[in-house]
Amino acid sequence: MEDTANEVPLVEMRGICKSFPGVRASDEVDLRLERGEVLALLGENGAGKSTLMNILSGLYRQDSGDVFIRGEKVDIRSPRDAADLGIGMVHQNFMLIDTMTVAENVVLGMPSLPFVPDMAVVKRSILELGERYNMTVDPDAYIWQLSVGEQQRVEILKQLYRNAEILVLDEPTAVLTPQESHELNDVVKRMQAEGKSAVFITHKMDEVMAFADRVMVLRKGRVVAEKTTRDTDPKDLARVMVGREVLFHIEKGPFEPGAVVLELKDVCADDERGLPALRELSLSLRAGEILGIAGVAGNGQRELSEVITGLRPVKSGGISINCVDSTNKTPLQIIRSGVSHIPSDRMAVGAVGDMSVANNLAMKDYRAAPISKGIMLLPRRILEFARKMISAFNIATPSPETRVKFLSGGNIQKTILAREIESCGSLLIAVYPSRGLDIGATESVRNELVAQRDAGKAVLLVSEDIDEILSVADTVAVMYDGRAVGVMPTAGADPEEIGLLMAGIDPSEKETRL
Amino acid sequence: MTLAFEKRKTVSRTAIVVVPVVSFVASLVLTGALLMIFGANPLATYAAMFKGAFGSGRALTETLVKAIPLSLTGLGVALAFRLKFWNIGAEGQLTLAGVAATGVALFWSPWLPAPLLLPVMVLVGCAAGAAWAGVPALLKTRLNVDETLVTLMLNYVAILFSEFLYYGPWRDPKGFGFPGTRMFPKEAWFPRIAGRAHVGLYLALVAAAVLWFVLNRTRWGFELKVIGNSPKAARYQGISVERNILLAVLLSGAICGLAGVGEVAGISRRLQQGLSLGYGFTAIIVAWMAQLNPLAIPFVAVLMGGLLVGGDQVQMVMGLPSSIGLLMQGMILFPMLAGSLFTEYRIKRVGGQAVRESETGAV
Amino acid sequence: MKKTLSVFCVLIVALATFGCAKKAEPVAAPVAVEPYKVAFIYIGVPGDLGWTHEHDVGRLQIEAAFGDKVKTAYMENVPEGPDATRVIRQYAQDGYDMIIATSFGYMDPMVEVAAEFPKVKFIHCSGYKTSDNMSTYFGRIYQARYLAGIVAGKMTKTNIIGYPGAFPIPEVVRGINAFTLGARSVNPKVQVRVVWTNTWYDPVKEREAAVALLDAGADIITQHQDTVEPQKAAQERGMLSIGYDSDMRKFVGDTVLTSPVWNWGPYYVDTVRKGMDGTWKSEQYWEGLSADVVRLADFSPLVPQDVRDQVSVVKQKIVGGTWDVFTGPIKDNTGKLRVNEGAKMSDGELLSLDWLVEGVVGKVQ
Repeated sequence: MEDTANEVPLVEMRGICKSFPGVRASDEVDLRLERGEVLALLGENGAGKSTLMNILSGLYRQDSGDVFIRGEKVDIRSPRDAADLGIGMVHQNFMLIDTMTVAENVVLGMPSLPFVPDMAVVKRSILELGERYNMTVDPDAYIWQLSVGEQQRVEILKQLYRNAEILVLDEPTAVLTPQESHELNDVVKRMQAEGKSAVFITHKMDEVMAFADRVMVLRKGRVVAEKTTRDTDPKDLARVMVGREVLFHIEKGPFEPGAVVLELKDVCADDERGLPALRELSLSLRAGEILGIAGVAGNGQRELSEVITGLRPVKSGGISINCVDSTNKTPLQIIRSGVSHIPSDRMAVGAVGDMSVANNLAMKDYRAAPISKGIMLLPRRILEFARKMISAFNIATPSPETRVKFLSGGNIQKTILAREIESCGSLLIAVYPSRGLDIGATESVRNELVAQRDAGKAVLLVSEDIDEILSVADTVAVMYDGRAVGVMPTAGADPEEIGLLMAGIDPSEKETRL
Repeated sequence: MTLAFEKRKTVSRTAIVVVPVVSFVASLVLTGALLMIFGANPLATYAAMFKGAFGSGRALTETLVKAIPLSLTGLGVALAFRLKFWNIGAEGQLTLAGVAATGVALFWSPWLPAPLLLPVMVLVGCAAGAAWAGVPALLKTRLNVDETLVTLMLNYVAILFSEFLYYGPWRDPKGFGFPGTRMFPKEAWFPRIAGRAHVGLYLALVAAAVLWFVLNRTRWGFELKVIGNSPKAARYQGISVERNILLAVLLSGAICGLAGVGEVAGISRRLQQGLSLGYGFTAIIVAWMAQLNPLAIPFVAVLMGGLLVGGDQVQMVMGLPSSIGLLMQGMILFPMLAGSLFTEYRIKRVGGQAVRESETGAV
Repeated sequence: MKKTLSVFCVLIVALATFGCAKKAEPVAAPVAVEPYKVAFIYIGVPGDLGWTHEHDVGRLQIEAAFGDKVKTAYMENVPEGPDATRVIRQYAQDGYDMIIATSFGYMDPMVEVAAEFPKVKFIHCSGYKTSDNMSTYFGRIYQARYLAGIVAGKMTKTNIIGYPGAFPIPEVVRGINAFTLGARSVNPKVQVRVVWTNTWYDPVKEREAAVALLDAGADIITQHQDTVEPQKAAQERGMLSIGYDSDMRKFVGDTVLTSPVWNWGPYYVDTVRKGMDGTWKSEQYWEGLSADVVRLADFSPLVPQDVRDQVSVVKQKIVGGTWDVFTGPIKDNTGKLRVNEGAKMSDGELLSLDWLVEGVVGKVQ
């Protein structure tokens, strides 16, 4: 692509800013995409990759900044505007109608569609497109009959049918088997050969190397690096992606681990789609210890927290808490055995947005005195309890009766943290507890975790942020593909080595595996 | 520039008071325009309607006669709706409970001690209502079958089953072949308070108070609230979502069933045509207008009952066709229901495209 | 009343114990200034034809007969069952002197309200319960049905006549039996096929039932519901029909050979007059062709003169009281002899009729 340098870029985004309540999702981002180029957007969850592409495809509007397509300034107000400009996005969650055929889905929502479309013509062009890009799909098949990989092809065909020149793929390989990923790569290469361009969002280094010509690394809404793939390697990318930040000052007592609190032996579990998410995972965690689980999102961390808390069935293997078997116990039984859990999805799971701060705070302790008496609930006691917690954890809320969803992300997290810490017996599981929080809130969350550890509790901390793990945890384990691949003390651990483990690279081999 | 609805940060207290008043006035104005088209004086019509519904002791008791089944089914429906379980089968639950209570009154009365007859009718009726609601609840919680359709279809099953009984095996042998069971023995009659208003009124008030207490002052109520707002969060808190939905829907069916027992034991004193008259469907409107608040439901039910009873006056006094009366009832409700939107939302001007809610995960 | 029946006597006794049947208070002489107020309770809307229409015609005849001295009112679409109680009570409370309820399902509600308002006169159509201030009235439409049956029996070619009926209740069964007896009196090969629609008023269901019967070979359709759809369905197939309630020939055309129709006016005018002059007494009124409360509507030009003559001969016998429709021998449609040669069915038997005569294809269930 050397000769494109002085041409007008196909896409140019300048100074894009976009905020969501409590989060700066995109902060002065510049992006260029040349004709016939494949650009990878790399970054952790919440780095702002999807936001940026949602702006390009008309789903969001930027707060400030400009978008130029083929050198012309454009205002993309809706996905339809984007389609008119030749931009097509394939979302992580497919937007297909299960009960309709492939052909029907392909033409669905096309503005130029006649009232009674000639489906024979549509089917013929689908078959032609399929042949051209080597991704055949039966146009008469119903979506529900197709595998996830095939459904993705339908999504791509849909965009190609609309003559998309710029294809945006949001984590396309997350749902694919290695074979399907390989085929996808082939499709993208064929498109590229025709002069089409693609942006694909990922957080996997090996895919960047395989798919892309150029890579942009985002962190916390900002571009932190931009490289051509020829000039980089996975190791380098891993380092850039996780970054090195100013370490927070964490007051930590000496590491004096006690008895084993949590023990997992060869645990296997499936994800929602029935694919293996945990593969014979073994871990152990002692009282007074913080075990940090590092790893790129989607390698089984959420499932790990869910099997421990009884929210996800264990297929094989065993879990014990305080030497008592807790495999496949109900969530309530596990709560009663002294386990607290700060879930990764704070709005959908951790808190109930439409209920008050007070009710959210009481959501674990309501089962016993002083909040309840027999079957009765004592609202005044809930308020007393909430006031106490609000001041103890510095939760900024207009009143205990405010609905939780109107608090900032940090204060929602503090509410959850307050409740979980208050009710914690011996084990605290915190999944991405500081994700999306500002510096102040992040620091207070981290200090609380350490305080729990100092009080002799066992803490399991799942994080994507290596710095967080290195500064907070006593021990680190890296999760990759459902396994714990490296367990080491954080003291003296090499962040670079952890980064490589996260990328699925064995540091001792010092070689890329694809 | 377009307009969009934006959810209010807190439910505005002024809006709670002002919105129903404004929508009520809007209803009267709109309906008044309709009446004028048909050549009737709106003020005179409203006065006649009010008088017909609340103007005398007798009128009031007739309004209460309607309000009893409306508030009971309204309570049942509201309980299920709070869990986002769309029970639109109150009509069927009411009917089947009426059938069950009839069975007790007709066939158990010879050997059941008289003082026990009514309590047993109530229990069996409630159980029948609960069982009828239990079918969709089980299908929903076990097999994830959509409850809306199932509850709706079961209405017709229950209604046709009751018809089968009073046209067929339960038909009064001394009734000259006309459809309807024989009259219940006197011990199976709900005592009447005034006019035709029967003790079902007390049951409805007690049910409202108890339901409010359960929902707001007990641990179970708290759990139901969490489930209704976020089943995922409930599961995470160790609350058994399926079991509690099942229990609550059974209770919902039982309360709707109580309405059916009241209708057969308190009003018709036999099973015959016109057992329900659509109370189970009107209950949905009652429940929403009361914002699913059990304490508000009896009041809304009285208003609704008044609207139904007062609607007769449109024909009787104003001499308009019955369809105008029904049209008016619809027009009075429409702004009221639309108005409730404004207690939760306000209109906001937005530039360009519609604002989309961002999912936290997508950032 | 001529035809007071033992069954009715028993019922009256039962009724006396029902509720709080009070002795009628002495009727105060009416002050002439106030008009006499009469209210009607309708199951449907008056419209242009049908059951409710014929009652409304009667109501208008009251107005025509008494002018300013009466005031009439009506409530339409009143559901049968408990809800009717409220409407009846409302009229009683509003000072109406006489309330006339025109459907069977208003019986119990009316009994209930009648007990509360002893000064108000309650008139109920087609029921069997009475009290001191509540009468019942009905017409022997089966006599006209018998005559219509003669017309149909004479004119059918396929010997199959279709009869969509509302409900298997005595009123409808009586009509079917009388019609069948009439048809078979002139044509013993006639079969009357019955389909129950389970509705009094449903254009769609009535038409569907008629179409099914036409498909089964019927060439004449009659019916016992309330719309002209069965008759229209027959006409569209080029088939004949016989109406009911109103003279349906006016709405469908000459393919409607004739219709058994109601004529309530004379009864209503007479009843209101008695109410006004204080001579009204509770009674059970059940009259037929002779009292002109039921009629056979004018014939279509398609009906030949010999058929007309034959009908007129039988009509004279019925009006003259020398013979009635349900005179033995009558067999039911399982072949069992139900009425012996020369015997006449009593009114009590007619009012609880629950079997179909020979020649009817159908079941009372």
